[in-house]
Amino acid sequence: MSEPIVKYNNVTKYFDDLMVLDGIDFEIQPGEKVALVGPSGSGKTTFARLLMTLEEITDGTIEVAGDYLWHEKDENGDLKPASTDHLRKVRSNIGMVFQHFHLFPHMTVLENIIEAPVTVKGVDKKEAIKDGKEMLDKVGLLDKADNYPAQLSGGQKQRVAIARALVMKPKVLIFDEPTSALDPELIGEVLDVIKDIAEEGETSMLLITHEMDFAREVADRIAFFDAGKIVEDGPPSEILYHPKSPRLKEFLERFMSTQASPE
Amino acid sequence: MWDWYYAFEVLPEIASALGVTIGATVVGFILALILGLIWTLLIRSKNKIVTTVADSIVKFIRNTPLLVQLYFIFYVFPQFGLSLDPFTAGVIGLGLHYSTYLSEVFRSGIESVGPGQWEVATALNFTTKKTWTRIILPQAIPPVLPVIGNYFITMFKETPLLSAITLVEILQTAQNIGAGTFRYTEPLTIVGLLFLLLSYPASIALRQLENRVTARYS
Repeated sequence: MSEPIVKYNNVTKYFDDLMVLDGIDFEIQPGEKVALVGPSGSGKTTFARLLMTLEEITDGTIEVAGDYLWHEKDENGDLKPASTDHLRKVRSNIGMVFQHFHLFPHMTVLENIIEAPVTVKGVDKKEAIKDGKEMLDKVGLLDKADNYPAQLSGGQKQRVAIARALVMKPKVLIFDEPTSALDPELIGEVLDVIKDIAEEGETSMLLITHEMDFAREVADRIAFFDAGKIVEDGPPSEILYHPKSPRLKEFLERFMSTQASPE
Repeated sequence: MWDWYYAFEVLPEIASALGVTIGATVVGFILALILGLIWTLLIRSKNKIVTTVADSIVKFIRNTPLLVQLYFIFYVFPQFGLSLDPFTAGVIGLGLHYSTYLSEVFRSGIESVGPGQWEVATALNFTTKKTWTRIILPQAIPPVLPVIGNYFITMFKETPLLSAITLVEILQTAQNIGAGTFRYTEPLTIVGLLFLLLSYPASIALRQLENRVTARYS
């Protein structure tokens, strides 16, 4: 097996006195798609936000593509907190798609997509427009290039947000409940786009989701979070159909019953 | 009571001082905008000491009268070796005083930008500077433009205060004329009309801007 692209080493996270992550070890392989499931408050979102550097790590280390994310080595080879430059360098491997899209409302769809390549990576603007249009075509929204986000449906917004994250060519892409804020009839189009990206295979994915069918279809592996720990971790067939721990069994049962209820 | 001939005779002299009034307003306001933004950014600093110091200075300036500040800059600073001509002192006084109001306006604009925009800027690896210039400020400023414009007009109407530190702007000019002829009615009326002539259209333009902003941001 090749070197993992992401490696959590005994990662702990506190919010003040509240422990959210409890000494987690975890690896993601290049190209691997991992779904994170578990009850809310179980730590799965914090787990992903640490990787995106949206929350600060309390203890332990995270390695990305062989580099420490939150730390760097000083002249003696000891770890010290990462400088801003180091953090930005390692962070460039990671991308994220948010539950609430967070498109730039003051920019058109195409501007949203080329903004980071041009401003952050210094890509030539013509080149960025070409790439951006290609990416928009991929998510099926080329005809919306000159629209503003306010003119799009939730599903379209999320597809733009995915395109915006993808043009930065991250090695690992985090999806934080990408369909939770969408009307039910718009969920499908977003899931389809994510599946397409997953099938291309190059990008590792970390999917926080409540869509179990989707997790089973897309993920190579599912990690079940409970109370700040990864309680169970394995291929979808095992996690979903042969849960070992009582907590996972309980979670799946509750999940299936809410899924089945007509409402 | 009202002498048209006299009014037209003194009009050009008063109007010629309008340049000083407008100049002081424009330069003072540019200073206020820049300083106001700097205050806002300093108050938002992660460094507690910087935040506290900047916040205290802003509160101090905002809660003391402009006239006192103008006197201080013009009459007290020279004792510390800093002698300023009336225009410079006036512009600094106006700019400093109004920067504290504008800082509050900028703050409300910046806070209206949701935390998600900051997070996505991090996720796309923007530097702090680019996050401000490309993402946050372009969203924070347009909604507060009408308020900023309001302060501009208010400041314009406060420029006669600068006559207190011997700046010969339109009010001072009118007063000088009055002192020479003992006729104040026409010169002072003209001053009032000149202010009205400029600030009323400005406030109408501002109302239109406000309507456009409301249409776009709500």
